[in-house]
Amino acid sequence: MKVEHYNALMARMSRRRMLQGATALGAMAAMPMTARIASAQDNLRAQILAIPGVGAGSPTDAHWQQVGELCLGATKANVAEGEFAGVELTFMGLNNQNLHNFLFRGFLKPWEAYTGAKINWIDLAQADYNSRLQQSIATGTVDFDIIEMGAPFEGDTAGRGLLDEMPDWVEAQIEADDLVGYLKPPVGTWNGKKYRITIDGDCHTFAYRKDYFGEGAIGGPEVPKTWQEVNAVSKALVGKTDPLTGLPAHGYLDPLKGWGGFGFYFICNRAAAYVKHPDDRAWLFDPDTMKPRVNNPGWVQAIQDVMDLIATPGAYPADQINADPGTTAFSQFLAGTGSMLMWWGDVGSSARTSDTSVVGDVVGFGINPGSTRRYNSAAGAWEETANEAPVMAYIGWGIYVTNRVSGDEKKRKAAWSAAAHLGGKDLSLWTAAYPSGFQPYRNSHFNYAEWEAAGYDRAYVEDYLGSNADSYNHPNAAIEPRIPGIFQYYSVAEDELAKGFAGQYKSAQETADAIAAAWEKITDQIGRDSQIALYKASLGM
Amino acid sequence: MSGSDHLHVVTSDEIGEGLKRLGRFLVWGTAGLLALVALAQTAQALGWRDFGFTTWRPTLYAYCLWATALCWSQVIIRGEQGKRTLFVLPAALFVISLTVFPLLFGLTIAFSSWNLSSPTGRSFNGLANLRQMWTDPFYWNALGNMVWYVLAIIVEYAIAFGLALLLNAQIRARKFFRVAFLLPLMLSPVAVSWMIGKSMLEARFGPISRLARWLGVENPAFFETPWMAKATIMVLDAWTFIPFMMIMLLAGLQAIPKELTEAAKVDGARGWKAFWEVTFPLMLPVSVTAILIRIIFKLKLADIVINITSGGPGGATDTVTSFIFREYRERSNVGYGTMLAMVYLVLIVIFMTVLMKWAGRYTRPRT
Repeated sequence: MKVEHYNALMARMSRRRMLQGATALGAMAAMPMTARIASAQDNLRAQILAIPGVGAGSPTDAHWQQVGELCLGATKANVAEGEFAGVELTFMGLNNQNLHNFLFRGFLKPWEAYTGAKINWIDLAQADYNSRLQQSIATGTVDFDIIEMGAPFEGDTAGRGLLDEMPDWVEAQIEADDLVGYLKPPVGTWNGKKYRITIDGDCHTFAYRKDYFGEGAIGGPEVPKTWQEVNAVSKALVGKTDPLTGLPAHGYLDPLKGWGGFGFYFICNRAAAYVKHPDDRAWLFDPDTMKPRVNNPGWVQAIQDVMDLIATPGAYPADQINADPGTTAFSQFLAGTGSMLMWWGDVGSSARTSDTSVVGDVVGFGINPGSTRRYNSAAGAWEETANEAPVMAYIGWGIYVTNRVSGDEKKRKAAWSAAAHLGGKDLSLWTAAYPSGFQPYRNSHFNYAEWEAAGYDRAYVEDYLGSNADSYNHPNAAIEPRIPGIFQYYSVAEDELAKGFAGQYKSAQETADAIAAAWEKITDQIGRDSQIALYKASLGM
Repeated sequence: MSGSDHLHVVTSDEIGEGLKRLGRFLVWGTAGLLALVALAQTAQALGWRDFGFTTWRPTLYAYCLWATALCWSQVIIRGEQGKRTLFVLPAALFVISLTVFPLLFGLTIAFSSWNLSSPTGRSFNGLANLRQMWTDPFYWNALGNMVWYVLAIIVEYAIAFGLALLLNAQIRARKFFRVAFLLPLMLSPVAVSWMIGKSMLEARFGPISRLARWLGVENPAFFETPWMAKATIMVLDAWTFIPFMMIMLLAGLQAIPKELTEAAKVDGARGWKAFWEVTFPLMLPVSVTAILIRIIFKLKLADIVINITSGGPGGATDTVTSFIFREYRERSNVGYGTMLAMVYLVLIVIFMTVLMKWAGRYTRPRT
């Protein structure tokens, strides 16, 4: 669970709830032996959820080791004690918020003790991650056996044959069937081969202000369900007063400034509703030619929608041209400016716990707004059919094994065993429930009763997890291409969009054409044929 | 060297032919070895033949060996004279190693297509990067912005001069003000970006925005329109670096001999006339130096732009360095980014040479 989520839940949890959780756990401990054996799995899950106990402060290394020890069962079934004696592995991952690698160290310590293997660690700050990885690949100096990596980088690694294929026993050990829909293949696969052990999920969800919508509310009786409605409400709110702050009311908060490539996800939210056709997995490029689709009528409509709001005085707060996603979420929405926002899961929970948040309990969640019509790329025409497409922005973290171990069967098994331990079903419940930097990503994480038994506030958990679950399992989820240099495309698009939004291009079409031209250049530079092949592979075509 | 000059003779300069031959053999032998190793490694890099090299270190070691032999041979061949050369030669070789080689390496990259995400790696692409640069509106826009940023130095100079004059005068708490005025220079530009650009100037909650609203400005936004954003960046950068110019000018003012100003007073020069006819001309050499150094700083402007506006709105505040940063860091476009940096370097060298030539006229003492 991301730290912010955990804090939010803690803020919401009453003492009574905590006692309920403790009672439930106590009752489990007091169960007869036969019943305990029968529900060993449930017992284990309840047991790890009690480390250190919901509301008992932030977990420490000792707790991580405890959880790692308790979850060793699956490893023991596949690996004999001391089997990897003398094996040394290098693990490259992040050190964000003192989580990620710090947790992995704790989880893997009992694994090291049992198997006899030793792990050396390469800790990276998020900002250094991309360049470190790209340089390692470009200069042929991959010096790690196991890597924590986001799916968008699969093109750079799996696409170049740098990863080791996942053995079948690993897939069975991690119970991969339990993954939510969109994280199942083709995510994590290349040319039909599996490479990824998922440990996280990502998606953008819709956050809105409940006090803007409802009978007699300034935003209208209903929460907007489509981008057409979002724009209409945003325009209609001009001149009205925010019910909470008494300042001018605003509608949807588009980030108009780039964010190192990550800002592009936000125009994707609007565009996906128009261009992500249920019959077509591709929505950014044509998979046969890598011709960008970013200047087709659907994308142009999305850009035009933003330009329409820019051209409507008062629709956006002042200086929106300099608002990046960090600003829209934390300086605007949480501070009471604006009524609608798309973001990762952090926003809803921060709304209830952050000291700077004034929106408190008036925040609600939903999935990415849809559209009343959609553009069919194959037919080259609009279809007057409603469409919905939540964007799985960044797809979440995974653990991968590099081909450095491929030639040594003992080392290879050790690397995969360590990775499988981190991606285990039970251990993942703990990372979903406690501060870990990871969001829920398995169907079993949405078993609300389990959370409630552990002492969580069910209503809030359902609210918080519900919008994620709906997005994850949406049949028309928009998943980004996992091709080399994907963030280069996003970054250059941000530059061109910034020019378009500043009025330097004559129209949305011209802006979109400039992005398409820049994307063509990148594709040519990286290599069109290889990009086509990798794009198709990433789409499972 | 005469035999009576024992004080300066350390070794005899009567060097035999055999020794000289040994010296020459050392130099040419190691040079040959260096050429051979470098050739073999190049052949391997080009895929002609595999010699089993895994890194370029053998060439580096061969270069070090050659450099050592070159230094040694100076003494063997030229005796005392060679020892004198030895005082400079290692330093010269070191500088060449750290400037010429990286420059050559940089040029090789600049004429290459090298996107770190490309599976084929680096490939020579001739003048393609230059042609791309020629038609790249982002680069020209950034260069255009640089002209405005550099022109702002005139205003900065005037303010810095005024402050230096004030701090040079007999005012109360002079020492306190000297330190206080220097404080912005001590701040990291990144801290300035966040504290002032992102916090104090924040359109809705920033204290400066609130003050502006209180003063009657309806919608105070400091980075919303292109010219306002450019001006705000100029002000932030000026606020950081005016103290630097000021301290240089203050040092110059304090170096002016008292007799000159007193003589001017006796001759009846007062106020503006004394400043314009005496102080300003005397300060010209210092002023030109301060301005030239400031221009060099200004041409590297990037940190506050990257942190506050990312070059926006619509490229209005972009600088060449911030644009190159994006090409490198966000787009891994190493070849093109290096070419942009090289061209910028050449432009800076030409611009500064012309400027120094022109400024030379004003810094020469008047006769």
